[in-house]
Amino acid sequence: MKQSGVKALLLACAGLLALSGTADAGTVRVTIAEYSKGTGPYFNEAAQAFEAANPGTKIQIEVVPWDNLQQKLTTDISAGANADLSIIGTRWLLDYVSQGIITPLDAHVTPDFKGRFIDTFLKPSVMDGKVYGLPIAASARALYYNKDVFAKAGLSGPPGTWAEFTAGAEKIKASVPGVFAFGLQGKEIETDVYFYYALWSQGGEIVQGGKSGLGSAAAVAAAKLYRSYINGGLTQPGVTSYSREDVQNLFKQGKVATVITAPFLSSQIKNEAPNLQYGVAAIPAGPGGARGTYGVTDSIVLFENSKVKEEAWKFLDFLFTTDQRTKFDKIEGFLPVNVKEASDPYFADNADLKVFTSLLPGARFAPVIAGWEEVATVTSNALQTVYLGRAEIEPTLRDAAAKADEILAKK
Amino acid sequence: MSKLTRSVLYWLLLSPLVVLVLFPFAVMFITAVKPQAEVLDPAWWPSAARWANFAEMWRATGFGGALLNSLYVSGMATVITTAVSIPAAYALSRYRFAGRGAFRQFLLVSQMLSPIVLVVGLFRLVAAMGLIDSLHAVTMVYAAFNTAFSVWMLQSYFATIPKDLEEAAWIERASPFQTLTRVFLPLAVPAMVVTAIFTFINTWNEFVVALTMLRQQSAYTLPIQIFSLVAGRYTVEWHYVMAAAFVATIPVAILFAWLQRYLVRGLALGAVK
Amino acid sequence: MGRRATAYCLILPSFLLAAFIVLWPLKEIINLALHDVNRFGLLRAFSGLANFRTLFADPDFLAALWRTLVWTAGVVGGTLAVSVPVALMLNGDFYGRGAARVIVMLPWAVSLTMTAIVWRWALSGESGMLNSGLRGLGLIDGNIQWLAEASTAFPMQILIGIEASIPFTTTILLGGLSSVPDELYDAAAIEGAGAWDQFRFITLPLLRPFINIAVVLNTIYVFNSFPIIWATTQGGPANSTDILVTYLYKAGFRLGKLGEAAAVSLIMFGVLLVFTLIYVRLAMREEAA
Repeated sequence: MKQSGVKALLLACAGLLALSGTADAGTVRVTIAEYSKGTGPYFNEAAQAFEAANPGTKIQIEVVPWDNLQQKLTTDISAGANADLSIIGTRWLLDYVSQGIITPLDAHVTPDFKGRFIDTFLKPSVMDGKVYGLPIAASARALYYNKDVFAKAGLSGPPGTWAEFTAGAEKIKASVPGVFAFGLQGKEIETDVYFYYALWSQGGEIVQGGKSGLGSAAAVAAAKLYRSYINGGLTQPGVTSYSREDVQNLFKQGKVATVITAPFLSSQIKNEAPNLQYGVAAIPAGPGGARGTYGVTDSIVLFENSKVKEEAWKFLDFLFTTDQRTKFDKIEGFLPVNVKEASDPYFADNADLKVFTSLLPGARFAPVIAGWEEVATVTSNALQTVYLGRAEIEPTLRDAAAKADEILAKK
Repeated sequence: MSKLTRSVLYWLLLSPLVVLVLFPFAVMFITAVKPQAEVLDPAWWPSAARWANFAEMWRATGFGGALLNSLYVSGMATVITTAVSIPAAYALSRYRFAGRGAFRQFLLVSQMLSPIVLVVGLFRLVAAMGLIDSLHAVTMVYAAFNTAFSVWMLQSYFATIPKDLEEAAWIERASPFQTLTRVFLPLAVPAMVVTAIFTFINTWNEFVVALTMLRQQSAYTLPIQIFSLVAGRYTVEWHYVMAAAFVATIPVAILFAWLQRYLVRGLALGAVK
Repeated sequence: MGRRATAYCLILPSFLLAAFIVLWPLKEIINLALHDVNRFGLLRAFSGLANFRTLFADPDFLAALWRTLVWTAGVVGGTLAVSVPVALMLNGDFYGRGAARVIVMLPWAVSLTMTAIVWRWALSGESGMLNSGLRGLGLIDGNIQWLAEASTAFPMQILIGIEASIPFTTTILLGGLSSVPDELYDAAAIEGAGAWDQFRFITLPLLRPFINIAVVLNTIYVFNSFPIIWATTQGGPANSTDILVTYLYKAGFRLGKLGEAAAVSLIMFGVLLVFTLIYVRLAMREEAA
């Protein structure tokens, strides 16, 4: 390369740089977690629409990869350089509230505004009667099953109980070679959640009366169930190397017959594996008929140290209008959080989504405890030990429960 | 041993390494040209090579802007680092002064804090100075990060350059500045090029600092731009990720092809003969 | 201007730059480590060595400490064992040398984060191209679940670490070899020294300073290296591939224990400091001898 060429290039870059100025008073900075490739474009478009309607206010969208969100927020907040609004996992909310980092929105949340929301999804963001965040993303979990594989194995429909599930899985193993009956997640985010599905169906709870439910008989039964699937070759091999995305990919390829996951898998299948014949059903029930699905929301919160709270609130108000919500949830494949939005034919007539919404009354959310991430980590580690068959189930879970109790007692 | 025999023997000995090195590139390349329906299929030969993936990736990921940002940051950081390091390395290799050993130790110690740790403290500093979201701040941090290493490397190479020529110049009453620019620096070019390349590559691939300090997608450098395609999205378009990673290596690979001739034995001392 | 003053002027800019990014963060970290800290870095009560005591009572931390030593020794040792012969060959004259050099340097062209992500993708059990490649070559019958257990994951991670460190090391060594004048070898050949003797008595002594640099710097970088293990296993399953950096990252950013994370980083800093002091002292004695 010629010297002058390099110089010209550098000068060109310097010119580009000059365009990026620092934020001024009327600017609302928003930290956005990136759910899909559509997230950034959606929010930028929304920001432009808002700016057009509200001259004088500038919205600056800062997209962060999900995996780095916690790191970024921690660094930002510790340096006092956080944005005005940010998406966070609702399960972290208590930590933020107890440190006084975010501000309640009650001054603005009129009953009318509250009425926009489906109550189930707003509730997790409410603490001590105050609204600390608004549910920007919501999902629940259900069982996806491969209809072709089920038909080949002579199964007429989705299993209602884990006992039926086991029997069906054996049939699949015997009659459909190359397909594993149950896609079991054993790695990274939500490894613990995948276990709670079985735990709840056995009548267990994650936390009960301030104590971990991990050492309970229900937890042991649930772990035994999953372990028996692993040992019996009913799951994909090497479950501890499969994250949620990996298991979903196996399902898209038709390599596993079932997987428990969120509504967004439907939209992925539509794009990536349009020929896959699949159905969505409730997660199987346990012997006592108990069952549960996991409901999860992410909240958008307003920071206490924001200097543009009024403008920020206006933007929130805008984001939670029916039009904006509908657009966003369609792009991401999330459940509607807005009552009017839910009556949009796209959601109301969607067979997959209907299953998810029908499960919502029984949905459980992450318990509101400080240090929830730590409990989840302890649980995931114990489960991986169990899945690998490294140790006896009961003592492993009992140890984990003791550790979790210690964490729960600390705060 | 004839050159031909030696060539065959060397390539045989190198072949396991060559396979190990080329394997990830093969994975990248093959995944990058797969049609979307086949991306999850681990086959080595896709039914058809879909070159359009590269063009689509370029648009979908905003690759061009990130490429310019990366070139700017790495280029500037390399220039600053080299400019600051050469005098220091020269002093270390040619002067005796109190604290010389301590300075060398300090340079080494300054490399020992894990960047992930460093970045928390560093970020507070940059935030206090109001320099967040500025490519210039990132450039300065990169320059600072690489200075210690650069000085350290340069002084090792400088130490291998014999002093005779400079002494001859001194005797011929050349000024110290003339000696430096006319005699010493020309001999040190290969060392400087190699060290500059080290710096360039380090900054080209740097991730944690850029991720922490940059806010808006328009300022993103390549590593974070590509990483954001992978990290925690509910689904990953692997063919685009691999295409982006593959294309990002090309400028550096070209640089290597050009650099490697500076590593020929004797070139460093060519003028001494 | 005296020679000494000149020398100080010459090193001053580099000193300021290097100090700027180290001293301030170091002060911050020490502060964090000695305090009870909330998850957003707000200092609460001074807690002395409590954070350190908590760490040493945690078996996972001790296991990670030990594993970090294995990881570092494995990667640095493996890299050196490969790089010295490779550099010697690449310094020799053979057909395709230019191409070989570019190939050996190629891993460097990809950021470590991307390298790790590509490997994770390739190592996937059912849809990874490594398994399908090995099956195609007839080397294995069934798929190997590389990342499911530490016994297969950790050696793979070390291998990736070696692959990623070779370009840097080889380049340093090649730079060193390029300063060995041909005349020395010519003279040695005239005196009848064989290839092995030439290596032992000419190449190795001249190369030794560069080997030392490579060992010290690689040790520092590998010891602190995060992306490979994080992208492939995040230290799992059940912490069985955790090294200190991944332990630190989880403690600090996932669990919000910034005080403990800062303490880990100080311990890491201490370990490296002790290692380099000892190594540099030994290496210098050898060089002097």
